[in-house]
Amino acid sequence: MTDEANKPSAAGASIHIRALEKRYGPVRAVDGVDIDIAAGEFLALLGPSGSGKTTILMALAGFEFPTSGTITVDGEDLTYLPANKRNLGMVFQNYTLFPHMSILDNVAFPLKMRGVSKAERHARAQQALATVRLEGYGERTASQLSGGQQQRVALARAIVYHPRVLLMDEPLSALDKNLREEMQLEIKRLHAELGITVIFVTHDQGEALTMADRVAVLKDGRIQQIGPSRALYERPENLFTAGFIGEMNFIDVDVQAVGEQFRVALPSGEVWDVPASAVVEPVKVGEKAVLAVRPERLQLGAGDGRYSLHVTLRDIVYAGAALLLIGALPNGKEIRARIPGASNLGPLAIGSVATFSVPKDAALLYRGLGQ
Amino acid sequence: MSAAGRSAFWHSDGRRLSGFSALLLLCPFFVIIGFVFLYPLAKLLVISVMEPEPTLANYAKVVTNPVYARVLLRTLWTAVLVTVTCVVLGFPVAYFMTRIRSALAAVVAICVILPLWSSVLVRTAAWAYLLERHGLVNTGLQAIGLTDGPLQLLYTQSAVVIAMAHVLLPFMILPLYGALRSIPNDYMRAASVLGAPNHRIFLEVVLPLSLPGVVSGSLLVFLTALGFFITPALLGSPQELMIATLVSQQIREVLDWPFAAALVGTLTLFVTFLALVFSKTLRFDRLMGAS
Repeated sequence: MTDEANKPSAAGASIHIRALEKRYGPVRAVDGVDIDIAAGEFLALLGPSGSGKTTILMALAGFEFPTSGTITVDGEDLTYLPANKRNLGMVFQNYTLFPHMSILDNVAFPLKMRGVSKAERHARAQQALATVRLEGYGERTASQLSGGQQQRVALARAIVYHPRVLLMDEPLSALDKNLREEMQLEIKRLHAELGITVIFVTHDQGEALTMADRVAVLKDGRIQQIGPSRALYERPENLFTAGFIGEMNFIDVDVQAVGEQFRVALPSGEVWDVPASAVVEPVKVGEKAVLAVRPERLQLGAGDGRYSLHVTLRDIVYAGAALLLIGALPNGKEIRARIPGASNLGPLAIGSVATFSVPKDAALLYRGLGQ
Repeated sequence: MSAAGRSAFWHSDGRRLSGFSALLLLCPFFVIIGFVFLYPLAKLLVISVMEPEPTLANYAKVVTNPVYARVLLRTLWTAVLVTVTCVVLGFPVAYFMTRIRSALAAVVAICVILPLWSSVLVRTAAWAYLLERHGLVNTGLQAIGLTDGPLQLLYTQSAVVIAMAHVLLPFMILPLYGALRSIPNDYMRAASVLGAPNHRIFLEVVLPLSLPGVVSGSLLVFLTALGFFITPALLGSPQELMIATLVSQQIREVLDWPFAAALVGTLTLFVTFLALVFSKTLRFDRLMGAS
């Protein structure tokens, strides 16, 4: 193990999670999860609390053993291996720097556990501190550092023994917004530099979308969708993902015809012909369906070759770069539009009727709920 | 919260308490402490240097007479033994309490505290019964063939240490439990994922972080043990006096108040000295369970 720890590994490990299941009594915290993670990939596990994302990470780290299923890292099955034998790096939400040790001893701790001599482990700890741009902080204690600095020390401690996998459990949620963005870049830079495989648990979708190569969206212990950020945002595979990632307008419609074009009737009586490419989930004639449109794809005023929505304006919110218009369809359904902040609204005011237009490729069609 | 905010007193509705109201609230306690503790103690200390005439002779007798010096040292040594015994017995219990479900931990905590509700006299008498010549311990030892005849267990230093450790154990376990419980579980997890096997997690993380609890508990036990009266009086050997018994003897049998007062003064000096030494390492808010 010592030799392995001394030798910088060139790249991260590939990870295969197969049919992972974790039950607590009758509760299935993780319910049959399969994930393949390529060597060097940055994967985010995203979901609301209780979705099972943390339980998956605990199983990866070895703090919880799954009820069934397997976890292999570079082909080695470590499903039931104790945490201290897995040689994985981990960063926690609350930094978890040992308060009774100096910063340098904290970073050197994993090397000490691997039997590295004092002189060498201190030299390597100094190096790791330099990697996170904290050289010269070694003699301090954790309480003398800011939250962001502490998390960078935790990062140095997690990579000093060159693990092939870095697990991160909401590492930025205790930091304030500016620091969080700085740390996001820092972590991305480290990931690029080290080529390590990163699994990053977060409930912050913005964080997941900007940082990860791929994002796995979880709900009730199951994977809802796994894919690159763009696919997740542009073409969510189901209504949960559509609603969970970003803002989305949902309009209940009746399916009137299928084929090259899907003809759907809106509650207001308007009829849209949606191209087959916009149909995410198969729908049949006579069924209920749901149209989903991102607020930023809506424009004010009618346009050629676009669908139109007529709404009564309920609220106009100025938000700097964007202007948020909240309107209601005749059936009371709320529709949001985000248009550039500099837009001229003309005579529009709260209570007046506005027309939003939607590009034909902006609407997605899903199977309706409650069928 | 700011340092100023922490040290202030507050009304239950959140308003800051004025200095006068705070003083008024503290008054009853300090009046009682003043009357029943500080005043008699000061009076004793005065007696120790003023009677029969202004002199330090009473103190000289404590230090120079080998009999009394030995009593003092024996008292210190007994208190040390009791403290060490309590650490050794108490640490596993406190550690165990942090590793189990909180409902179960509450049951264990009740078991730990329950003996405190019975009188020290009862617990000491129980040990006398167990350790006597034909008591349970002696008959048990003979039954399993470890000893041939009854051992002299009662009226020995060992009996005193065992019984005092038993009586004082809760005062060790509770601060230890507080210190151990305040160590976040994530520290253990972090150590584990960084490669530490269980025994090294304990040695490198749990033990150092629990030291404030060890110091608090040890100080509580040690200081209490120094002045212990009933247990040494009932279970100890008359040839191996401890200081509290000696003081009582001097007051009730020899009627030498000045010398008894000098013994008390010596003990008080020593305890004050210890408290000052440890005030650097021991924060009193830690004793109350603050982290």
